Amino acid sequence: MEQYTIETHDLDFYFKDFKALDGINLSVPQGSIFGFLGPNGAGKTTTIRVLLDLFHANHGTIEIFGKPLKAHKTEILGRVGALIENPSIYKHLSGRQNLEIIRRMLNAPKSRIDEVLKIVRLTDNADKKAKHYSLGMCQRLGLAAALLSNPDLLILDEPTNGLDPSGIIEMRELILELNQQHNKTIFLSSHLLSEIEKLATDVAIVDSGKILYQGNLEGLKAQKQGIELKIEVSDTDKAAQVLKQLNFTISESTPSYVKAPISSKEDVARINTALVQNDLDVYQLTSSNENLEEIFLTLTKRLDQ
Amino acid sequence: MNTTLTLKRGISAEIYKFRGTFTLWFLILAPAFVPTINFIIFMSKGEQIMANGGNAWQRLLSMSLDPANFLFAFFVIIVALFVHNIEYTSNTWKLIYTQPLNRTTIYLSKLLVFFGMLFFSLILFGLFTVVCGYAIHFFKTDLGFAEAFDKSFIFLVCIKLFLATLGFASIHFMIGQVQKNLILPLGIGIAGIISFLILVQGWEYAIYHPYGYHMLSLQNWKAEGFSLWANMQPVYLSLGLAAATLIGCGIYNAQKRIF
Repeated sequence: MEQYTIETHDLDFYFKDFKALDGINLSVPQGSIFGFLGPNGAGKTTTIRVLLDLFHANHGTIEIFGKPLKAHKTEILGRVGALIENPSIYKHLSGRQNLEIIRRMLNAPKSRIDEVLKIVRLTDNADKKAKHYSLGMCQRLGLAAALLSNPDLLILDEPTNGLDPSGIIEMRELILELNQQHNKTIFLSSHLLSEIEKLATDVAIVDSGKILYQGNLEGLKAQKQGIELKIEVSDTDKAAQVLKQLNFTISESTPSYVKAPISSKEDVARINTALVQNDLDVYQLTSSNENLEEIFLTLTKRLDQ
Repeated sequence: MNTTLTLKRGISAEIYKFRGTFTLWFLILAPAFVPTINFIIFMSKGEQIMANGGNAWQRLLSMSLDPANFLFAFFVIIVALFVHNIEYTSNTWKLIYTQPLNRTTIYLSKLLVFFGMLFFSLILFGLFTVVCGYAIHFFKTDLGFAEAFDKSFIFLVCIKLFLATLGFASIHFMIGQVQKNLILPLGIGIAGIISFLILVQGWEYAIYHPYGYHMLSLQNWKAEGFSLWANMQPVYLSLGLAAATLIGCGIYNAQKRIF
C-alpha cells in the first residue's frame, strides 16, 4: 500500500462568505515531488496555509506523516520545512543571522547553518546583509531556513516566482537534488505548468478551490478526450480536401495549417501518407494531447496566468 | 516538551532579531534623555536651583520623574510599535508561526521581550539618574549631592512605574498583534494620554482611565511621609487590565489567520 505524507479529507475554508477551498482531498505520496497546480487565485496558497496551520479549516481533516495535524502540530511542524510566497527575511540582518533566529527557535546545532548554506549555495554570501540579496538569493535563503530542521517534507509555494531564468534553473536543480539526494518529499505549488512538468512526479490541479485532477502526469495526458492533429503543409486547401476524402472533419483551417480531430495515433500515419502521396510537403504534425498546457487551460478554463 | 525550554528558545530568537536595529539604541538612549538634560541644567544653573536649600537628590529626582513619567507613556507606545513592526516589514509572521513552537509560546516570547524592554529601560533610567547625580557632584561638589539619600527609592519607583504601565502597554501590545498600521496605535495612545490629562482635572472616574495608572501611582510622591507602596490601586487596576487584555489577545492569537 502506498504511503502518503500528506492526506487531507474534505477541506473547506471560507473567507467570510467566500468559499476559498471546497472539499479538498489531497494524497501526497511519500518521496514524491507533488506539483500543486492552478491559476492565480485558485486556492493554492490558502491550501498551503491550512496545511501549515496558519489558517484553520472550517471543515475537514489533515493528516501529515499519518498523524492528525491538530493533535500533533508542533511534532509535525518539526519535520516540515516551508517557503510560502514572497520571502520572509529580516533585511537588516545577514543571511547567517537570519538562519540563526530560526536555529534558536528549533534548537538545532550551530553546524546546521553551514550545512544548509552549502546546500542552497549561499555560503559565499552568508555574511552579507539580506537587504543586498537578489530575489533569487532571498528565495534560496528562505529555502535554507526551511531546511534547518532537516525536514522530511518541504512545502514550497511558488518558489520560482519572480526569479530570472537562471534563478529558476538553479531553484529547479535544488528541488530535484533535495528530492533525489536528500530524500525529501516535496509539495510544490505553481501556476506554471511548464515548471511542474519539469519537476513533478505527481500532480494535482486546483481551480476555484476544487481539485480538478489528481494523479500522475501521464494520467493527466490520458484524460484528454478527442485528440486533435495540427498539420502544417505547403497547401492547406489541398490538404483539407485530402482529409475530407479520408472522412476526417476539418476543425480549423488557416493558410499555414489545418486541424482535424483524430481517434488514434494510427490516423497520424494514414494522414501523413495520404498528404505525401498527393504531392504535399508536410512540415510538421503536432498531436494536441502532447500539449499539457492546453489540457491545463481546458481544465481550469482560465487564461489569467 | 518542556514549556520553559521552548519559551527560552522563543525569547532567545526574539531578542536576536533586534540586533543592529534602532530599537536597541532607542532602549538605551531614551532613558538617558531626561538625566542628560538634567545634568546640563544642574551644570549651568545648579546654584540657582539649590538656592532655597533642600536635598539635592530629591530635587534631581523631582526634575527627572515628572517629565519621565509623562514621556514614558510615549516610549511604551513606540516600543510596542517596534516589537511588532519588525515582523510586518520583514513579512515574517508566517515564518515564525511555521516553526515547531506552539502559538502561545511565540505569543508569550514576544510579550515577555516587550515587557523586558520596558523594564530594562526603566531600570536604565534609574541608573542614569543616579549616575547623573554623582556626575554633577563630581563637577560641582557644593551642590549638596554628598547628602544622604536612599538611592534604592529611585529603582523602587521605576518598578512601581513598570507595574502601573503594564495595563496600557498590554493594550498597545494587543493593537500591534491585531493590525500593522503605525499611525493608529500612535493616535490611540496620544488620545488616551491627552484625554486622561483633561479628565483627571475634575472627573471622578478618571482614576480608572488606563492611560493614567502610571501617573496616579506616583501621585503626591514629593509629599512628606510618602510611602511608595501605600497607594496600590493604580497598580492593581493596571495588572487587572493587563491580565484581561493579554488573555483575550492570547485567545484571539490562537485562532487568528496568519498572513
